[in-house]
Amino acid sequence: MNEETKTALANKLLAWADDELILGHRDSEWTGHAPILEEDIAFANIAQDEIGHAILWYSMRQELTGETPDELVYFREARAYRNVQFVELPKGDWAVSMLRQYLFDTAEMILLTNLQGSAYTPIAEAAAKMRPEEIYHFRHTSAWMKRLGLGTAESNRRTQAALDYLWRYALQLFVPLPDEAVLVDAGIVPDTAVLLQEWRSKVIPFLQDAGLTIPDNDTPKLTDRSQHTEHLVDLLGEMQMVARLDPQAEW
Amino acid sequence: MSDTQWPRFELFLQDRDGRPHTNVGTVHAPDAEMALLNGRDVYVRRPNCISLWAAPSAAIYAKTAEELAEDDSWQNELPPANAPERAWYVFQKQSQRNAMIYVAHTGEVQARSAVEALQKAIAAYDDPEKPTWVWWVCPAEAITRSSKEDIDSMFLPARHKPYKHPQAYRTVTAMRKIKAE
Repeated sequence: MNEETKTALANKLLAWADDELILGHRDSEWTGHAPILEEDIAFANIAQDEIGHAILWYSMRQELTGETPDELVYFREARAYRNVQFVELPKGDWAVSMLRQYLFDTAEMILLTNLQGSAYTPIAEAAAKMRPEEIYHFRHTSAWMKRLGLGTAESNRRTQAALDYLWRYALQLFVPLPDEAVLVDAGIVPDTAVLLQEWRSKVIPFLQDAGLTIPDNDTPKLTDRSQHTEHLVDLLGEMQMVARLDPQAEW
Repeated sequence: MSDTQWPRFELFLQDRDGRPHTNVGTVHAPDAEMALLNGRDVYVRRPNCISLWAAPSAAIYAKTAEELAEDDSWQNELPPANAPERAWYVFQKQSQRNAMIYVAHTGEVQARSAVEALQKAIAAYDDPEKPTWVWWVCPAEAITRSSKEDIDSMFLPARHKPYKHPQAYRTVTAMRKIKAE
């Protein structure tokens, strides 16, 4: 692999890993606060899975750059994170968190399905390992979306408000990185335009059947993954606090 | 105060082929599909599961050995006229060795009511050599089941998640070191 491809791949792995980590952390904020005990456990499971996926991507990147997952997670400032704002937004109400998880799970399931054919073997293997988990997340969050959308007037209103709020943020998941083309040409990652098309064909009819109206603005809220909200700063403050108290500590 | 909780469902887990589905506990859920998903998340934290059933607690008719010995008036209730015969699953608790082992699926009877199902279950499955402590019967059609296709996404991922025991964190040796310093 030449240097250009290697750098592009490291950037891509960082973007995937940061998305998973920050979403997993946001989901974990429901632990102890979910609407019912059973869902508390279920959503904590999902959060752990996403953080587990983050570790897989960070570790794969370590093979290329030498940077360890702990360095990247605990000792990076918000501006060095490459997650989309979609995953750093506060957890909001149950409709916001569940809809975000549904939109992300659908995107990730489609991504992983495509990545199983990646020309870079470690990616293909990791995708095959993660995909069954995403299929389960997708089933869980789909079941919730139907019930929230078709449940009561209030659950529909809140879910519609969540969709209006999140839709354009979600679209940033499909904005290619500036140096990504070289990876697509090498067959390492799929074209994001293909992923977006698959995602739209899945989520749009599904959400409509759940009694929701798709916002008519298809422009991603942002295109640059180095731009973050103050919410990410707060999140990292909490996530990194203990590790930074004693950077030499052994865990 | 009225109960605002969602209805309860009983979960039954099969850990491998040829073993019976065994009751592992209860979840609250708004409907059967969510009960199966909640059941997976609450009770399947280890990969030794190949099939999961969820049954509304309200659909289960249950009697303990003590209740049967004390009072047999329950047998007086006749099936409603014209009630169709349908399949009922029979569950028994036949061991007290492990308090965590609840009833296990042991068989099936055809009956027109819960009472008739339990009568037929006792007639067919009671074994004086191996006493039954608890009997459950439940209409087969009331049970929602995971499918073979669900195994990969619902149960197998647990294989990749090794359980980290507390001693893996070496806190005891760390504390000894700190105290010694």
